[in-house]
Amino acid sequence: MPPSHQLAILSRRSFHSHRLVSSRPVPLAKYDVNSLRRVSSAAAAQPQYAQNVLAAGGKSALTPSPLSDEQKRFLDSALRVNQAGELAAVLIYSAQTPPIVRTHPHLLQLMKHMYDQEAGHYKTFNEILVKHRVRPTVMYPLWKAAATTLGWSTAVMGREAAMACTEAVETEIGDHYNSQIRVLLDWAADLEAKGEDFGPEMKELLATLRRIRDEELEHLDHAVMNDAKEAKPYELLTNVIRGGCRAAIWISERV
Amino acid sequence: MPPRLLRLSLHFLSARPAARLTRTTPHYPPRPIPTSTSSPRAYHAYDRPTPPPYPPTETAILTAALGRVPAHGFSKTALALGARDAGYLPVSTNLFPAGEMELVKFWCTKARLGLGGTVEKEGLPEGGVRGRVKELVRRRLRMNVEGGVVGRWGEAIALMAHPTYAPTALAELSRLADEILFLAGDASLDSAWYAKRAALAGVYAAAETFQTQDTSPGCVDTERFARERLGDVESLGKAFGDVGEWVEFTVHGVLNGLRSKGVRL
Ligand SMILES: [Fe+2]
Ligand SMILES: [Fe+2]
Repeated sequence: MPPSHQLAILSRRSFHSHRLVSSRPVPLAKYDVNSLRRVSSAAAAQPQYAQNVLAAGGKSALTPSPLSDEQKRFLDSALRVNQAGELAAVLIYSAQTPPIVRTHPHLLQLMKHMYDQEAGHYKTFNEILVKHRVRPTVMYPLWKAAATTLGWSTAVMGREAAMACTEAVETEIGDHYNSQIRVLLDWAADLEAKGEDFGPEMKELLATLRRIRDEELEHLDHAVMNDAKEAKPYELLTNVIRGGCRAAIWISERV
Repeated sequence: MPPRLLRLSLHFLSARPAARLTRTTPHYPPRPIPTSTSSPRAYHAYDRPTPPPYPPTETAILTAALGRVPAHGFSKTALALGARDAGYLPVSTNLFPAGEMELVKFWCTKARLGLGGTVEKEGLPEGGVRGRVKELVRRRLRMNVEGGVVGRWGEAIALMAHPTYAPTALAELSRLADEILFLAGDASLDSAWYAKRAALAGVYAAAETFQTQDTSPGCVDTERFARERLGDVESLGKAFGDVGEWVEFTVHGVLNGLRSKGVRL
């Protein structure tokens, strides 16, 4: 690895701290997208979901107490932001891929891999929103336009700029998922102190958020390995993009 | 959905009359059906108990008061008689600062939550969200008849139109639209989410107004009215849906369109 890369990685404190959190053992089976898909398809699936929930919930001695209004509001806005963010990610990668692959054909595999993961994240949150009756953000059409513009414009600036875009976006998103994971862990600790179970739904959500967070940080890794730090003007570009991400998150949490 | 959002969604509707009630997805509500309560709509959990919308005393009084509505209307008298019927002093009506409007709200809530019950008992027709929405609207309108409130519903509409209560009424209307689309298995997640709820709320409010004047047996004319209006919304959606889609996808669409024409972007 060239020294500049090592420097670049070392300078990313937050990046390392993500890794520390993510290396915690995940006590749950991986999120089963298939079971969720079965829930939302066709009439036959109805009782099965109830059975799953009952079976999982019935194991614990104490069923969890109802979510507070504040907790519901938190989940409502967090999931709304996540869904909008994953849509943006899908659009960014799909706008970036053709210009990047034309000039750097060897990046096709990587771009496709990241795109596929984002498409999976988007699908996961779509299903969660419908299932838990969370409304989508009002700003949907705007985010679509903004994400595509961002992806395309950074890609035509070159490979380094595109990777700097990925690095900036994934840094914000990684932090964003981490803060949600911390809140859920706090809730779990509170319930545990009361002798209550966290419940299958929240455990599954926590596992999903951790899995997706890890994949986002993997994208961040790829971006740094592909010379994101070489982008010119690096500071300006990443600061503008990170500011934009924070603004978009702030708005989507509210509307 | 708070009233602010309803206004926003009405704005969406005017910008795009394309309530795409046409998209069908094979989705049914999972069981047990999590229903919205009178608390603001937000995340619905499946593995946690849902508190009932009203505490037991209030529920008892308001339920008894509904029994007095056919004779006494949505009035303070009906509330006071309800309190007495339920075994409470008439003074306990001061549990309800909104007075007779609370009775209106209680009926709306009860009927809305009852829709999920009808789905568990009778199921829903196969063949798409549109058909299921129509059926759920029919069932909800029928509840006004079977609950005995239809003859007095004009009073309720007058109350709901009062500036003090209009926000409550609009919020309840949007919760009903959300309930119906959720139960029907609608899975739209873009601006169609808002357009559909606004369009459905509009049709339902119009149908209830029509219903207060309906003299046909069992209010079958109202059911036809609602069916036809929902059909209108669908054909509007078909006519304008592409435009809405186009606006939404402009940037993405232009980019992909140019690419498909061989422009190297
Ligand atoms: Fe993602
Ligand atoms: Fe990502």
